[in-house]
Amino acid sequence: MVYLYLAGLFVLVAVGYLFGRARAKAAADTEALHSRPPYHGAFVGLSIIAPMLLLLVIGLPIADRMIVNQALQTFDPTVMSDDLRRGVALRDITALATGKYTGEPTLALRQAADTYASLRAWTYNLILAGGLVVGLLGAAFGFRSLSASFRARNHVERAVKILLLAAASVAVLTTIGIVFSVLFETVRFFERVSPFEFLFGLQWSPQTAIRADQAGSSGAFGIVPLVTGTLLITGIAILIAGPIGLFAAIYMAEYATPRFRAFAKPILEILAGIPTVVLGFFAALTLAPIIRETGESMGLNVASESALAAGIVMGMMIIPFVSSLSDDVINAVPQSLRDGSYAMGATRSETVKKVILPAAFSGIVSAMMLAISRAVGETMIVVMAAGLAGNLTFNPLAAVTTFTVQIKTILVGDQEFDSAKTLAAFALGFVLFFFTLTLNIIAMQIVKRYREQYD
Amino acid sequence: MNDQHTAKAFDIDLQDIARMVAEMGGLAEKQVADSVDALAKRDTTLAQRVTAADSAIDALQREIEEKSVLTIARRQPMAVDLRDIVGALRLANDIERIGDLAKNIAKRVIALNAEFPPPKLIRGVEHMTDLVLEQLKAVLDAYARRDDNKAMAVWRGDEEIDAVCTSVFRELLTYMMEDPRNITCCIHLMFCAKNIERMGDHATNIAETVHYIIDGNPITERRPKGDTTTIPALTGA
Amino acid sequence: MNSMVQVKQSDAEGAAPGLGVKPKVIARDVNVFYGDKHALKGVNLDVPARAVTALIGPSGCGKSTFLRCINRMNDTIPICRVTGKIEIDERDIYDPTLDVVQLRARVGMVFQKPNPFPKSIYENVAYGPRIHGFAKTKAELDEIVAGSLRKAGLFEEVKDRLQESGTGLSGGQQQRLCIARAIAVNPEVILMDEPCSALDPIATAKIEELMDELRENFTIIIVTHSMQQAARVSERTAFFHLGYLVEEGRTEEMFTKPKDQRTQDYITGRFG
Repeated sequence: MVYLYLAGLFVLVAVGYLFGRARAKAAADTEALHSRPPYHGAFVGLSIIAPMLLLLVIGLPIADRMIVNQALQTFDPTVMSDDLRRGVALRDITALATGKYTGEPTLALRQAADTYASLRAWTYNLILAGGLVVGLLGAAFGFRSLSASFRARNHVERAVKILLLAAASVAVLTTIGIVFSVLFETVRFFERVSPFEFLFGLQWSPQTAIRADQAGSSGAFGIVPLVTGTLLITGIAILIAGPIGLFAAIYMAEYATPRFRAFAKPILEILAGIPTVVLGFFAALTLAPIIRETGESMGLNVASESALAAGIVMGMMIIPFVSSLSDDVINAVPQSLRDGSYAMGATRSETVKKVILPAAFSGIVSAMMLAISRAVGETMIVVMAAGLAGNLTFNPLAAVTTFTVQIKTILVGDQEFDSAKTLAAFALGFVLFFFTLTLNIIAMQIVKRYREQYD
Repeated sequence: MNDQHTAKAFDIDLQDIARMVAEMGGLAEKQVADSVDALAKRDTTLAQRVTAADSAIDALQREIEEKSVLTIARRQPMAVDLRDIVGALRLANDIERIGDLAKNIAKRVIALNAEFPPPKLIRGVEHMTDLVLEQLKAVLDAYARRDDNKAMAVWRGDEEIDAVCTSVFRELLTYMMEDPRNITCCIHLMFCAKNIERMGDHATNIAETVHYIIDGNPITERRPKGDTTTIPALTGA
Repeated sequence: MNSMVQVKQSDAEGAAPGLGVKPKVIARDVNVFYGDKHALKGVNLDVPARAVTALIGPSGCGKSTFLRCINRMNDTIPICRVTGKIEIDERDIYDPTLDVVQLRARVGMVFQKPNPFPKSIYENVAYGPRIHGFAKTKAELDEIVAGSLRKAGLFEEVKDRLQESGTGLSGGQQQRLCIARAIAVNPEVILMDEPCSALDPIATAKIEELMDELRENFTIIIVTHSMQQAARVSERTAFFHLGYLVEEGRTEEMFTKPKDQRTQDYITGRFG
């Protein structure tokens, strides 16, 4: 039905466009047009699209609801008050109406299905007809508006603006929607666990008991160990990726020959394309044992899953971010500044240190921030290499855990969606979101403060 | 030659200036010929016409000046274009002076008022005029064609005029000594001869300017001069 | 190749104003190649000390290329190759034993677009002296900065805001800041690559006025597209065309009676 409707819409619009354009062309022979003929055509097309889409988007859900209600009334008016029974009844009715029902239907069900099918056919035809009428009305309106002096271009421009605004709104509204859905669950979590305990508790063990008499039934939801774990791993990662990525970027942008650059930059970017799962098992199976052995040979006590291994591999993961973005911002520093510095007798490294890095500072900072955000949000590597133990420690050789890992752990497997344990995931998500948001705001402030206007 | 500028309007400006200079030169030539004609034919009406016509030359000079200043301001001419315009200014100046001198002769014709010296004496002045007109024509031609050789020929050719002038002076002196009643008309005639001699000098000035326009350098060689004194006859006497 | 070039030694001695006994910069048979492109062809030029020499010519004629040979800025372009000899004070600047850093301390450069560093006005001027270690104390550095700004005619305008960013100045001020930056290391030669092309007439006039003062202490070589500017500021002018140095001589003569037809055509605006 919808496809038919859309096909009709398409045909009407195409015809409307052609007629509008043809009419404008004809008018152009006698009079000077305000807008060029395609705009006239587009205007007619738009005055068809707008009402027809509106009818579909508004009419279809309303019609659907009415049909369903009617069918359910026919079936058994009492189901309306019970969500569960209503759902079951509806599933049966639609199944029967579409011929997918297995078993012998009752009489009431059969009647309801008949009502459903006939109403459905009827309303759909109504919508189709209505669409045609509305489309033709729109076309008539569009045609009536047309004249040589008609400012079709301005109207089309406005329609384009509205379309773009709609696209932008979708992005913004989605974000807001996500934030709110997480926020609501978080509030529910805080009904069970106090925010104070959550934010400042030093113990993290979310395993609440299913039965009251089980061991460890209390559960502990203090996120401090997660914060330290996240910071530790992220810190190690940025310690690795920051200098290496930046230096690589400087080499690429300032020292490398174009040929080397053309060959090395894509390779570096391949690193960004390696799935984190692969990096994760590299960390867990290759790097972690090496670290453990090295540590033990030095007489240190190293956990088999260590923050260090996860941090190093995560650092490797974000090197391409840092280097690629930094490379871009360094390249964006105008050549004239380099020339100015070289002409003063500065060497290459002096130029990099005193002119290019200060000029690119804000861009480099935002590159780092982006890399940090990425590291904070990374899950896979940590799951595989750093373990699940919520240790409150800054020892890089111990096993630690992070926000993302805990969210993942909590939500894996069968869950009840109203236990404190499950809801904790939303609270963690919210904190994580807040954390990265803060990072972004800081980064934006730094960028704004140190931004250099080159032109 | 002024037709290859990237800015075509510049070509037109330069051509306009050159055309005005040529027109002015033509007018001046006619004025000179007419004034001496009036003298020879004792024609005061023609003399009056010459006096009146001088304003046309003056007007052209002003026009050339304005156009030149405007072109300099607008185009910032360089090298040959700059010399062209500066040269045109100088040419206009010299030609205007020639026009003034012709007017002065015409005025003297009016002042003589039938008290004319004998045609024998005037013939010398006429001869000078022929020579000067020839020079003037040649130098204007040299300007129009940017012909350096021709300009230099004019520049070297002034000697003869000076010589004729000297002889005219001597003749007039003798005549005045014969009969003091002739002095008035002879003095007038003397001034006419002097004026024509000055025209010759202006023609050489023009030749120098034309050479400068073409070559870019002032003339370095010394001009051949038969006699350096202004009134050689008097000292000679 | 040398037939294209007219460097008259007799001209260089005594006749030209500002031309000392010995030329400051001597270029002999300088060729520049960008990859396969032969950008500069056998240029011979003597640049007098303490005078302004203007390089003029249509775009792509090699005048900027030649300018950038004098402080070896072409070294920063990998595909660029320079042959021939350029001497400053009779010292070959392409001599392998000569350190390009030291050369550039002696040969300052000002660019087409003002390019102050994104630093404070003070730091911009202090950049060179710091790199080359000219000042031992803060007081000495202060003095160099103030002195350079004064010489560049900018001190009075910026003395109260030395710590503000150099990029916040107007275009003309930025260019004078760049000149101050260049003269802060007390160079002997200052190269200017169309220093006024991005400036308005007033700012241009200020820079020209400044050049007039600077010529007493510095040897200035300026590339310019403005013939009027070349005529105004320079003592000598060199005309480049298609990579050749076509004609070189006293500015007065170049602009009133050039010898070469190509020069004549260029400066009178007759190039097609």
